[in-house]
Amino acid sequence: MAPSGSFSTELKVFERHREEWSRSYPGKFVAIQGDVIAEGFFGSYAEALKAGLRKFGARRSFLVKQVWKTEPVYCIS
Amino acid sequence: MGRADLNWNPFDQSDPGPCIEVIVMNSHNVIEGWRALGLECPEPLRMKALLDTGASVTVISKTFAKYCKLFQTSEGSEITAIGATHPCGEHAGAISFPDTDLRPFDLIRIRSVDFVKQPYYAILIGRDILQNWIITFDGRSKRVTITD
Repeated sequence: MAPSGSFSTELKVFERHREEWSRSYPGKFVAIQGDVIAEGFFGSYAEALKAGLRKFGARRSFLVKQVWKTEPVYCIS
Repeated sequence: MGRADLNWNPFDQSDPGPCIEVIVMNSHNVIEGWRALGLECPEPLRMKALLDTGASVTVISKTFAKYCKLFQTSEGSEITAIGATHPCGEHAGAISFPDTDLRPFDLIRIRSVDFVKQPYYAILIGRDILQNWIITFDGRSKRVTITD
């Protein structure tokens, strides 16, 4: 079974690129495992997940993240 | 066009709201990946879900996300509920609606948070899914109808 991961390395990679990516690819999705970034930015979560599965396989979790300058906070009322 | 009919009595204080039976499992892409690797795939799990127009996204109880072994794709993003902020996980999953002909959703993002003292449902169906449906409520018969 693929373990559900801690994403500390992936989130650090994302933070290193956030400023640049949020200018060039706002709203797009990216897939990252360890410090490896799947090629391309994707218009949907599903496309990014499929690209991540092609690149990294399903054995280990990978980060799928939407590119925003600041993180959105989701609301449940 | 699919359709589901649900009972909901908004005048009964013990009625949690319009709930629908759902089956939550990993997306087919993830399951195929696991099978190719010879990894074990957990059985799909049937649970109750609340139709929640106040939820911007679909959210599952963290306990059930772990039980279903949903493929995790992020952690640490935030959800606010009644003014409090809660950390949430993000998972790729699939949701279907047994005993109805509503179209299933495969490969969608499902957030997970701790549901505290919630005996009625294990998942909130948020506006990311609700936006695909026509939902009507007949107050006289206390029936909710979903069509897609």
